Amino acid sequence: MIKKTFRIPDMTCSNCAMKLESLEDMLKGVKEIKASYHRLEMVIEYDESKLTDEQIITAVKRKGYQAVAA
Amino acid sequence: MTYKKRKSSIDPVIIVMLGVVFVAIAIVLFTFQPNLTSINFASSSGVMSQLIVAFITGITTGGLSCLAVQGGLLASSLAHQFEQDYLEQIVKSKRKKQSSASRSSSTFPIFLFLVAKVLAYTLLGALLGWLGSFLTLSPMTRAMLMIAIGIFMVGNALRMFNVHPFFRYFSIEPPKFITRYIRRTAKGTDTFTPLFLGALTVFIPCGITQAMMATALGTGSIAMGAALMFAFTLGTSPIFFIVAYLTTELGSRLEKFFMRFIAAVVLILGFVTLDGGLNVLGSPLSFQNLTRNLIPSENISSSQATSPQLIVEGELVLNVQNSGYFPRTLKAPAGKDFTLNLVTDKTYSCARDFVIPALDYYELLSDTGIVKVTIPAQAKGSRLFFTCSMGMYTGQIVFE
Repeated sequence: MIKKTFRIPDMTCSNCAMKLESLEDMLKGVKEIKASYHRLEMVIEYDESKLTDEQIITAVKRKGYQAVAA
Repeated sequence: MTYKKRKSSIDPVIIVMLGVVFVAIAIVLFTFQPNLTSINFASSSGVMSQLIVAFITGITTGGLSCLAVQGGLLASSLAHQFEQDYLEQIVKSKRKKQSSASRSSSTFPIFLFLVAKVLAYTLLGALLGWLGSFLTLSPMTRAMLMIAIGIFMVGNALRMFNVHPFFRYFSIEPPKFITRYIRRTAKGTDTFTPLFLGALTVFIPCGITQAMMATALGTGSIAMGAALMFAFTLGTSPIFFIVAYLTTELGSRLEKFFMRFIAAVVLILGFVTLDGGLNVLGSPLSFQNLTRNLIPSENISSSQATSPQLIVEGELVLNVQNSGYFPRTLKAPAGKDFTLNLVTDKTYSCARDFVIPALDYYELLSDTGIVKVTIPAQAKGSRLFFTCSMGMYTGQIVFE
């Protein structure tokens, strides 16, 4: 398990954070996602053998946001 | 979040016209409210009659009065919902090149807000019935709360206007465990914000609500306190719902500008709340106190102004009416004590909750009667501001 932070600069409300946290239920290998509108970032704890950075970035994009590895 | 295609079977213009009719009826009821509520609580022997009076008070003056004070929270709640919907649409249109507008119904968040409000006030009524006066907020505490809420609303509006990234700190981030719980129990729906904000309204009761809370205190019963507040808050709900629904439906015609429209509403209500808080603090910097001398109130309500404010030497009269205080500016001799007679006559509005912040004086006046207040000697040229406990109605005593 590793923990990574992604910058999400285009979040516009705290609901965006809730939306990103819902990826927790959608992506395999994710233990926990903590997204913050105040910090404009998403911290994700996941199993790197099951999930890649690219897959995370793509999933975030599908939610309507751009993710940049911090 | 669920998305529904908007059916255009009912023209929004018809809805708006119906709404205008409803609001007009409400205003008429508001105008003639003293006649409706002239039923005396004390003389009503039955529990049911008390509840009916509470409901009627809610559906007439309560709904409009509370909307003025608590409307901001509802607007924030709806803003939150539509902000999200608007962003979803942008994403969808980029991805699927959809041009048709789809937006979730405004009825659900309004409904959630009102359900939470009714439940919260019912619980508050139960607590009041049990705890007595221990939970009563002092005017000063309420003023600080109003100022804090006003700043929050203004900051939130500026955030929606994208004025500066700093304003994102004015957005409430629910705790992680709550968002997870909500996500898993009500998957895809934003239920938390309107529920939470609806429950928050217990902290900013309008004057009429406070009067009802005082009545709930007097019942000394958990069940009766809860029932009384339930009946009253239920009564305020239709006006709240109609006005909020119409406001949002009007916005659907201005889809492109809707976010800014809501932000502007939140901004205005934020300033109104902030101004109310400053009034309750007795600040000369409030909008009403700053502009008071620009529009002499005596010219506006000449009937009140012509009534003698000085009845006997050393005594002044202030008429406390449903629409405020008359005259709004009293002139008193400087350097000597005098008695201020607060006269109520079938007064049911929040003007009854009389506050003189500088003297730390607060009194919930009876609906009909005279209360005498001794005003200590003040320096020449000084001003003493008075207000209702929600900062809606104000006035001043000028010492000459």
